[in-house]
Amino acid sequence: MQGLLSVRGLEKHFGGLAAVQKVDLDLQEGVTTALVGPNGAGKTTLFNLITGNIVPDSGTVTVAGAAVTGRRPHEIARLGVARSFQDLRLFGRMTVRDNVLAAIEHGAWFWQPGGGAARRAREAAVESALERTGLSHLAKARAVDLSYAETKFLSVARILATGARIWLLDEPASGLDLNSRNRFVALVREAVAAGVTVCLIEHNLDIVTELADRIAFLDRGAKLAEGEPAAILRDPELIAIYFGERRP
Amino acid sequence: MIAYLLNLATLATVFGILAASLNLLIGYAGIFSMAHAVFFGLGAYAGAQIAMLLVPDVLLACLAAAAVAGLLSLCLALPALRVRGEYFVVASLGLQMVAITVFSEAHAVTGGHGGLVGIPPATLFGLNIGDPGAFLLVCLAVLALVLLGIRVLMRGSFGRSLMAIRDSESAAKAFGKDVPRIKTLAVGLGCALAGVAGALFAFYMAFVNVESFTLEQSVLVMAMVIIGGTATLAGPLIGVLLLLLLPAGLSFLTFIPPTEIGAVQQFIYGLAMTLLMIFRPAGIAGLSTGRR
Amino acid sequence: MLILQLLVSGIQTGAIYALTAAGFALIFGATRIFHVAHGATFALAGYAFVGLVNGGFGWPLACLGALVLAVAFGLAMDRFVYRPIQRHEGSFFTVFVAAFGVTIMVQSLIEIGFGRSFAAVSTPLTRAHQLLPGLYVAEVFWVAVAAALVLFAAVTLFLERTRLGIGLRALSENPELLRAYGLSARRLSMIAFGLGSALAVPGAVLTAITTGLQPSISAQVMLVSLAASVVGGIGSLRGAALAGLLLGVVENLVVSVLDTQWSSAAGFVVLFAFILFRPSGLFGRAVAR
Repeated sequence: MQGLLSVRGLEKHFGGLAAVQKVDLDLQEGVTTALVGPNGAGKTTLFNLITGNIVPDSGTVTVAGAAVTGRRPHEIARLGVARSFQDLRLFGRMTVRDNVLAAIEHGAWFWQPGGGAARRAREAAVESALERTGLSHLAKARAVDLSYAETKFLSVARILATGARIWLLDEPASGLDLNSRNRFVALVREAVAAGVTVCLIEHNLDIVTELADRIAFLDRGAKLAEGEPAAILRDPELIAIYFGERRP
Repeated sequence: MIAYLLNLATLATVFGILAASLNLLIGYAGIFSMAHAVFFGLGAYAGAQIAMLLVPDVLLACLAAAAVAGLLSLCLALPALRVRGEYFVVASLGLQMVAITVFSEAHAVTGGHGGLVGIPPATLFGLNIGDPGAFLLVCLAVLALVLLGIRVLMRGSFGRSLMAIRDSESAAKAFGKDVPRIKTLAVGLGCALAGVAGALFAFYMAFVNVESFTLEQSVLVMAMVIIGGTATLAGPLIGVLLLLLLPAGLSFLTFIPPTEIGAVQQFIYGLAMTLLMIFRPAGIAGLSTGRR
Repeated sequence: MLILQLLVSGIQTGAIYALTAAGFALIFGATRIFHVAHGATFALAGYAFVGLVNGGFGWPLACLGALVLAVAFGLAMDRFVYRPIQRHEGSFFTVFVAAFGVTIMVQSLIEIGFGRSFAAVSTPLTRAHQLLPGLYVAEVFWVAVAAALVLFAAVTLFLERTRLGIGLRALSENPELLRAYGLSARRLSMIAFGLGSALAVPGAVLTAITTGLQPSISAQVMLVSLAASVVGGIGSLRGAALAGLLLGVVENLVVSVLDTQWSSAAGFVVLFAFILFRPSGLFGRAVAR
């Protein structure tokens, strides 16, 4: 069945290297999917292809039935696809509040459309996102001055405020302490309960089993398997690949 | 003495507008243009031509200057959209070098090396404002408007978009920013304001030639912005005052032969640029006021 | 014959540009530092040569003095300007502005020391001989071409055949290889700056004995080096050298169709076109960043 976001036969080569080859993937509405695989499996490249950062050599991406292949990143974003980056890419010299506010202002002229009512709605969305990520008291701090965990939550707050239906999270919980990690898991669960479709790249298999309904296993740019977490994580062959005990 | 102070104040105001407009590009948009004097020059030539051929109305000349500089800013926006970092700086240097040749060779429009002579005194809605005091007031009013405009824009969504692109272009795209359009607008606005400064400069000097629009001028304005502090409202103004007062201050040091003052002044601002970059990359205003 | 004559002077200019640009590209390729003060190195070397010759020293000693000053300046830039900046922040623009500041300082110091007019050393080497009817070539042309070919070949050999050279090439891209080779990144960056700066010396000396030097030469050389590096593909040594040659030839050939005032602008039009349509340059890989 075609998902809310659907990828068909996606391929990308960099020089002679096949970064992503013939990948099919469906993100079903309300289902949380984890992309799992060793480093260099092409997970982040897949995100970059979906969000239009990289143009695929062949294959298609559709969002809610509409083809988006070849469209520019900001157009795809406006269809309700929000993403985080492994290296966060916060707006470093801006305040926490401005980071979130900038993420939901799409007008490209000197002003935003919608007038005062829309502006108040945006401000409310920002306040709510900051509150849910526990950053309200830091609203006026600059992003570069935050602690590691706070920067992680800011990257989630940016996505939260957009109200996007599809979240693509690239290692969102890596390096978090236990407390922050639990708050993060709760945050994602809340969003999923509110109807968000999540796809995350994650190395921590505990978080994967806690959050994911499905796992897609990637290696060397190809999707090797997809299914229920329990089935995938029990497959000795996949686990061997994952932990780098690849047979020759 | 009064005439001397008026002269200094008017120049400071004109350069204040110019530096503020470059700060829009360097500080807020992260577009490191080394060709700002080109747009200053385009504005000066456009303003001068309007004054000489049509009417010497400041408002009309400023609008024409802004339009010409704003339109031709596409020459800068194009590389800004295609390349970043070192490549863009080199592209803007290239633009500066080509433009200076065009300025010196297009005699019909620019008067070549001889320049445009005999720009009539300025008027505003038919009122004569050629008197130095009145002209200073007009310049101050324009500077105030420009600063107010930049402040309002940069505190609003446009400023946030620009700074977001400056800090992380890919993240800005991922959050729905139409990066090419926003950058083109910013470059257009910054260059148009440089054009306005140019038109005022032309009226004030009553004479313009290519010497005022060289790479040295671009570097001087860049030094003003950077020494003062980028992405701050006050920074460029501080930089302008420091660098304009420098030659005046040096002339009091009698042990420096007058013929060497130019070189000594150059040396000092070169030194200031280097030391600041090593010890305080945020500039003077960036140090004292923290953020904005 | 005019075209041939212009081609000859173009190749002579181009040989000087090529060597200087190769020095710049060597430094950039190894350290990823956009060494815009390379033009200042050129100016310092040239004026040191002129100063020493006018001070009664022989040519070999004057060349040596120029070489020492150029290398010392390059090393000092690395040690006292670039390294402190990279330690705390190191955005490319910070580096750029700092180096630009130094260029301005050097230029003004030269103005104070030597005045704003041309400084040159005259020599019989620049006297032109008729090679073909209507084609005049001075001996210095052969000196320039030979110097460029020999030095370029030597540097290429060094980079490709020696352990240090391979280390230099790996410095920016493959730090692990360095560790495997037991080379220190800091020492390699010093070598890059020393060698790169040394490559500016022959061009500086040749310019001093042909067209003469002006304080603003540092800005000119900086622009040409930048332009050649971009056109050649940033960091590519042979790209920069070839592009330097190309720029020199274009500058001179343009004179046959346009006024001389357009000659340097023509080079920059070439540059601008490259940036817009082929930003990876002649030999570049993908666009940086």
